[in-house]
This record gives sequence, C-alpha cells and structure tokens, in this order.
Amino acid sequence: MSTADVRLVSARRLIAAPVDAVFALAPGDRPLVSAGDSVVLGAPIAERLRDPRLDEMEIPTAALPHPGGRWVGLPRRGDEQGPGGEYVFDWHGRWRVATGDIADAVESPFAGIVRSVRPGTGITIRAAGRGIRGVVALGGPTRGRLQAGAEGELRSGGLDVGSAGTILVVGSRVDAETLTRARAMGVCGVVVAGLSSKERRDFIASEARQRAALHRLPPFAVLVLDGATRRPLAGAVQAVLAALVGREVAIVTDPPTLVFDLPSLVIPDPPIDLVRIRAGSLAGREGRFVRAIGPRRFAGGVHLEAGIVHLPDGTTAAVPLGDLERFI
Amino acid sequence: MPAGADVEAIISVLGDRAATADRSLAAALELRPGTANNLPRLEVASHPPRTMAVVAASERALGPLVATASRSGWRTVSGSAESIDPLAMTTLLLDAAVSCVLVGASDPPAADERRALGELAALVAAAAGRRGDMTVVLSGGMSEHLTDFGDIATRAGEVLLGPAAKRGAPGGPLADLLVELALPPNDARRALGAGAVALAEILDRRVDVVEVGFDAGTRASAAPGVAGGTPSLDLAVVPSAALAPIDPDDSVVDRVGLWSTWGADRHRLRDRLRELRLAPWADTVGDGVTLRMAAARAALGRLKEWTPEWNDRPPADLIVATGGAWAVAPAPAVALALVDVLRRPGAGQYALDHSRILAPLGSIPDADERRAMIADLIDDILAPLGTVVTPAGLHAGRSAGSLVVHGTDGSTRLDLMPGGLALIDLPPGTSAVAEFKFRDSVRLGARGRHFAIDVTGGLGGLVVDLRDVPLKLPDRSDLRGELLESWQTAIVTGRDM
Repeated sequence: MSTADVRLVSARRLIAAPVDAVFALAPGDRPLVSAGDSVVLGAPIAERLRDPRLDEMEIPTAALPHPGGRWVGLPRRGDEQGPGGEYVFDWHGRWRVATGDIADAVESPFAGIVRSVRPGTGITIRAAGRGIRGVVALGGPTRGRLQAGAEGELRSGGLDVGSAGTILVVGSRVDAETLTRARAMGVCGVVVAGLSSKERRDFIASEARQRAALHRLPPFAVLVLDGATRRPLAGAVQAVLAALVGREVAIVTDPPTLVFDLPSLVIPDPPIDLVRIRAGSLAGREGRFVRAIGPRRFAGGVHLEAGIVHLPDGTTAAVPLGDLERFI
Repeated sequence: MPAGADVEAIISVLGDRAATADRSLAAALELRPGTANNLPRLEVASHPPRTMAVVAASERALGPLVATASRSGWRTVSGSAESIDPLAMTTLLLDAAVSCVLVGASDPPAADERRALGELAALVAAAAGRRGDMTVVLSGGMSEHLTDFGDIATRAGEVLLGPAAKRGAPGGPLADLLVELALPPNDARRALGAGAVALAEILDRRVDVVEVGFDAGTRASAAPGVAGGTPSLDLAVVPSAALAPIDPDDSVVDRVGLWSTWGADRHRLRDRLRELRLAPWADTVGDGVTLRMAAARAALGRLKEWTPEWNDRPPADLIVATGGAWAVAPAPAVALALVDVLRRPGAGQYALDHSRILAPLGSIPDADERRAMIADLIDDILAPLGTVVTPAGLHAGRSAGSLVVHGTDGSTRLDLMPGGLALIDLPPGTSAVAEFKFRDSVRLGARGRHFAIDVTGGLGGLVVDLRDVPLKLPDRSDLRGELLESWQTAIVTGRDM
C-alpha cells in the first residue's frame, strides 16, 4: 500500500480536541459565569427564561442601563429576590426589558473553562477532555453514563428502566417512538449512526410538544454520528465507545459532539490503510486500502477515480475514492 | 478527486499523470514525476456563505431587501416590525450565526414604514452595540438614522450606507455592495465573474456562466464592451441554490422529486439529500447520478427564481455550465438540464467548464494576464456541448415545419414535430447554418417563420428543443419519470425523441 495513495481518500478525525461547546442564550437569559471561570461538572452556567416577554419600563438614568445589562426589579415582598431581566433597547425614554416569570437552570455537562460569555447570544466553554464529532445533535446538552445498547436497530421494546441515567449507544438506527420512550424512561441520551429524516422530524415535533408543557424537561439529546441512512457505526468509533462504556460522558449540540474526560484513556491511531465504505452497495464495510487505480468506469457509465480495497472476507473490490473515508 | 482528500497527494498524482501523458510539455516545464508539488500555485476556494439578518419596518419593504440579499452571496434570516415582535427581532440579530445586518426602508420611506422606523433603528442600534463585530448596512430611507449608531469610527464592524432595494429588480447597486461584503477577495465565485468577463472579451460574445455548487449557485452574465468601452458584468450568488441545502425542507424535496426519475417517497428523498450534503462526492454511481441531476435541476430552478432580472435580457450567445454538480453527469445531459430549467426561446451555444478551471483563472488579479491565460487555454477549458435552438409558440399535434442544416458535408433535412427533441449530429469543432421554416409564426429570439442560424457542434450536436416553453411535465410521477428518462436517453445516445 502506498502512503501517498491512501491520502487520496477523504480523512475524518476520530477524536476532536479541544472541544469548544457553545450554549446558546436568548435575550433575557442570565449568564451565571464569566470568561475565564472554571466550571465543574453539573455547575449552573445560565438561567434560561422559559417564556420570555418584553416589558416597557421607565428606568432612572442613575441605574446606568445599557443594552445587554441586567435589570433587577424590586422584590414583591420581604426578602424575596426581585424579578430579573435584560435591557434590550431604549425608545423614547422607556426601556424595553426582556424578562419572564420562570427560569430554568442550564448546567454544564462537563468540566471546563469558560472562553466567552455574550449575553443574548451564547456561552462558549472549552471542555476538559476530548470528543467524538457527529453530524447533528438533537435536543439539549446532557450527560450520563455510557451504556452499550443494541448492535443493530434499537426498538422501543428493547428499552428497560435500568437504562435510566445513561447515554445509550445504538448500532445503526433508531426510530422516534424509541427515542420518545427512552426519554420517558429517564435515559439521558442516545448515540446512533444514522437517523432518518422522518424519525428526526417526528422526534423534533415530540420535543416541541413537550417543551410547550409547563414542566421542565429532563436533559435529553440524540447524537447522530454518520447520516440519515442505515449503516453500522465505524469500527474505529465503536472501539472508542467500547472503551468508554460505564464512564461519564456528555453530549453537546453545538458542535454536535460526544465529550469525555478521561486523560488516561489511550486511543491508538487507526491503521493508516484502514478505510470505510460510506456509500454504494458495500456501504458500511471496512477494509484495507491497497492502491489507487486511477479513473475507472462504474455503473451508469460514470468514470471515477477508484481504489482497490481488500475486505476482511478475503475479497477485493474497486471502490470510487469518493465513497471511501479513513480516520485519522 | 474527492474533496477532503489531501491536496498534496492530489497534486502529486495529477502531476505524475501530466508528465506521463505529455512528455514534451513536461520536459518544457521541467516537470518530472514527484516534482509537481514544487510548482508555483494559484489557490482559490469557494467559501461557505455567511448569514445576514434582513429587517425592515414593513413586510412590503422587507420583500425587495430579502430578494436582493439572497442573490448576493448571503444566507438570510429575516423579519419585519409587522411580522415579529421586538424581542424576536433582537433574538434574530443576536444569533451567533449572524455576521451582518441589513436594515432598510424605501427612499423616501412609505407611509406604512415611517411610524415604525425610529423604534426599528433603536432596536438594531442596540443589538449592533452589543455585537461590535457585526457589519451593519443601512439601506434607502434608513440612512437617515445613522446617528443612532453612535460613533461608528470606533466600532470593529463597519456601518455602511446603501441605496434602497428595488421591487422586482433584485440586482443593482445594493446587490453589488452586498456581494462585495459577502465574498472575500480570493473567493471562487467572485473569480467566476472575472473569468466570465475575460471569456466575453476574448470571444466577443455575451456569455452566461451558470454554476451549481455545494454551498451556492452562481449566475454571471458578461458582455464585451461596445466600441472599446468597459465590459459589463452582473454576478448573482444564491446560497439557497446550493446542490443540497443544509436542511432540505418540503419545498426543496418536492422540487427534487419533480425532476427525479427514481420514484422515491419524500422521506427517502430527504434522507438521500442529507447524505448528499454530508458527503457530496460519495454515491456517484447508479441512483446517485440520477439523484444528483435531479438535485442540480432543482437548484437551477431556485437559482432562476432568485434572479428574475435574467428573464428580461437577450439570450446569451454562450452558456457555460460549471460547478461540482455536473462532475459525474454525461456532458450532453448537462446541456439538457440547463435547457430544461432555464428555458427561454432562442438559440445559444452551450459549453461545460469540465475541469472547473474558469474560477481559478478568473482569480488572476491582473486583467491583461487573466485574458492572455484564458485566450491561451480557450480550446481546452471548455468542452463544447453543442447548440440548442428553442422555438416557442409551436402548436402541438402536427408538424411545425422543417429544418435544413447546411454543413460542410452537405445538407440534412428534418421534419419538426412539437413536443420532443430533434437531434442532429454535429461534432465538436464543426459549424453549419440551420435554416428553419415554420408553418406558423414562432418566437425564436424574434417572432417569425423563417430563420437562418449559425450553429456550432459539440458533444450533444445540434439540439432543436420543440418542447413547451416553459416545460410542462405530467403530474403523475411514473409518467413524468419515464418522460424525463426518455429525453435524457435521447440526448446522451443522440437518438431523436
């Protein structure tokens, strides 16, 4: 195998480090941390208004109001904490203040250092640890103990209450019903190779309905590692996930990443010639890249740059280079 | 070579191939196997579009602003004081993805805008104060509120004044300003405009370049200067006309479904579009080619919708297709895709920038050097697809007339039957005169019955497109798929339909 040849295959990073996760804020949300702060696992980093509204108020100049600044109102009675809000803009001497009656705490799902805080926009925290990048994450930031789930497709009947508090690794695919049931049973998150558009849409709609309810939702996230069609998890990723089983991990949505803080975990580099076929009739299979063979004619009369891949069953196949990926 | 591969490895392999294929040229360039990586490089890249928040006092004023921004290289999010409340608008402006805000009003502001303009300016100024890095463009009547933004010299992000957006004409000075802001100097799509101008000057023809790429679609219209004057260029970059949008909504999926011969349901189609977005170079055989062509046609449709001003222009003499969307399609099928979607009565030559080198050449900073380079390579950079003649106003059900093609090897006569494609083999490098005699008056540039048109050959030859303008497709997906497939087969195999 030529090293130069294998570099013609698109590379995908197996482990991402560092991980700078963004926690979005809206006007009125109250950051509880400042840039440079060190946060521990589960530390509250912000208060998010559940139903924000814009109130019009006359604010004395002595209060030094400015857009993005915090407004604190008078307590309704006794030693109670007064209502809070955020100055948005001043119009004709009256300030518009974003405020709300109920605020939910946003907790950091990992330990790290706050990189930046922009009220109304977001908080960026650099995680103390590494991560596995996915293609999309649905839901909100969450954490839990990693547990290996079904190898193929996880069905709702395959869930049990013993998985409460865990992040489940599902092999190839999961449906919306299973995700909804998992959330209801106290599962904190699901890691899956593929999530189809229909299941994705159904799950998002279910989330929206839950959020419309008055009670606070437990944190739950779905991390999709590969795409929208059914295919098994990549072997290199499976190996890392297997090493993380039983350990505390987190899912963040921006960027979609599974974060883990295990400095002692040694993750060996995947073999340089290990490639994975991500599309076509051999999608999901892995093998050893032998060599690039230049343009070759494929079904439909298309000429594509191709490479020879040696598969574990002893066969070889000519595969378009575009259908291959390798981990670095 | 797939995107995502190591650039050094690609250069090495291509250099070695070039050295083997043309030894004399390699010797002249002192190019030996393994030395291509040491050659001087010209690098150009298309950049992902950034997001612009477009806000206005009224929905009526918002429409032209969104139309202008959306064809000027920006992804847009928008809202007016009529449609969203100030809190939602502030949330929109403070979104981390937003890097520029366009706030506009008619010039002078209309009655329905005046009452809300002051509050809107205060809201945007407050948000801009919190996001010092955000660029602000005040358009039309909004310029009067510049003082609300305080000392603009101390801001990191610029505050710029622009002209008002015009309803029904999304191009113009405001679009030019937004394109300048959107595209970095070394951007491939910006360079595509310069490349189109150079091509127009060299060929002394009106040239349209149509690109469908991963992140956007581009339309560049260039014309040579008249009597030594400066050449003209209109450049539209439409992020929503990308091959596979980030989040394909129902309208995107349905449009792809309309052009698909694959017969997949909406969910499966959406899955495949998501996969296409994630790995655009994967799955390029079999169904993958069909899906890609359907997605490319859908993207062309969106490109056409966001550039309505192109409809009022005389047809270009040469239409050049470029972009990754066409990389795996048979060359004549590319011309058919353009003709299917950007349908206009008239005649034009079609060509394919098969190696996608027009943008890199357009990025050469010096105009004279750029022209010299393109002139030197003109025979190699464009693959001629042929000439397409599209008459409009034909009556279905009977012969529309006849065509005689006078070539160097004699004449070919053809009866013109409306509803299909008539194909005449005209190889690349040949030319002929096509003499049309229609039974009734038709539109073919001008209205008339007799036309004589100079045509040139190409991989698809001479194509007389006798289908409806605009194209009418059956509602039933199976019939539609069969029809699309038959046209595709006809153009690729060269048999009449």
